[in-house]
Amino acid sequence: MNGWTAAATVLLGCGLGTALWGVATGPLRRRVVAQNLSTALACPGLLLLSQAYGRPSYVDLGLVLALLGPVGTLVFARLLADELAEDPPSARGVTWAVAGLGAGAVIALCVATGPSRAMVKLLVIGALLISGNLLASRALSGGFGGAGRG
Amino acid sequence: MADVSIVVALLLIAAAATVAVATRDPVRQALVLSVMGVVLAVLFTVLQAPDVGLSQLAVGSALTPLLLMLAVRKVRRRGQGKERER
Repeated sequence: MNGWTAAATVLLGCGLGTALWGVATGPLRRRVVAQNLSTALACPGLLLLSQAYGRPSYVDLGLVLALLGPVGTLVFARLLADELAEDPPSARGVTWAVAGLGAGAVIALCVATGPSRAMVKLLVIGALLISGNLLASRALSGGFGGAGRG
Repeated sequence: MADVSIVVALLLIAAAATVAVATRDPVRQALVLSVMGVVLAVLFTVLQAPDVGLSQLAVGSALTPLLLMLAVRKVRRRGQGKERER
């Protein structure tokens, strides 16, 4: 049980600390990417916390964050489309690294849970998290053409 | 061990709130505010209040940035319209 708490603390401390630093400094394109990655990092952290406290119902927090985090990033991608079109952010490496981290955390939790309905829920959250993160990242880098003009 | 995670979450929220106050540009402030909402939800979870964390996530990660960005856009458009009238 203690290992899960340590893993969650390290992940949240380092991940959110880095995201905070990224969102506080640098040009706008870096800040937007850091905001996207902060939700992608916090979601596996919350899942690890639910395992650490032994309360499966805490998984709902991760589910809500996996759903709403990309929505928040899409808000920025839509409303900052003009600024971002001049200076498009590209953070493919970081995005895939964070997606891999989330996948690793979800797989570790699945192994710990064992085959059950809870594991299916974890897998759904992981799929939502990674697909939403990649989608939001692509929208930020202007991957959807002129859809964001407004 | 649980105390360590509480301390980490408290430090993170203190840093995030300081950055949010220190940022001057409203657009960048909205970005910092959205990260702060997520950190606050983590703090509530660590303090064993996941119900508060859920509502904080719903409001902080999507709704507050949306309202702020819409307000900024409206103000900017109005400013541009006035410049054109001159």
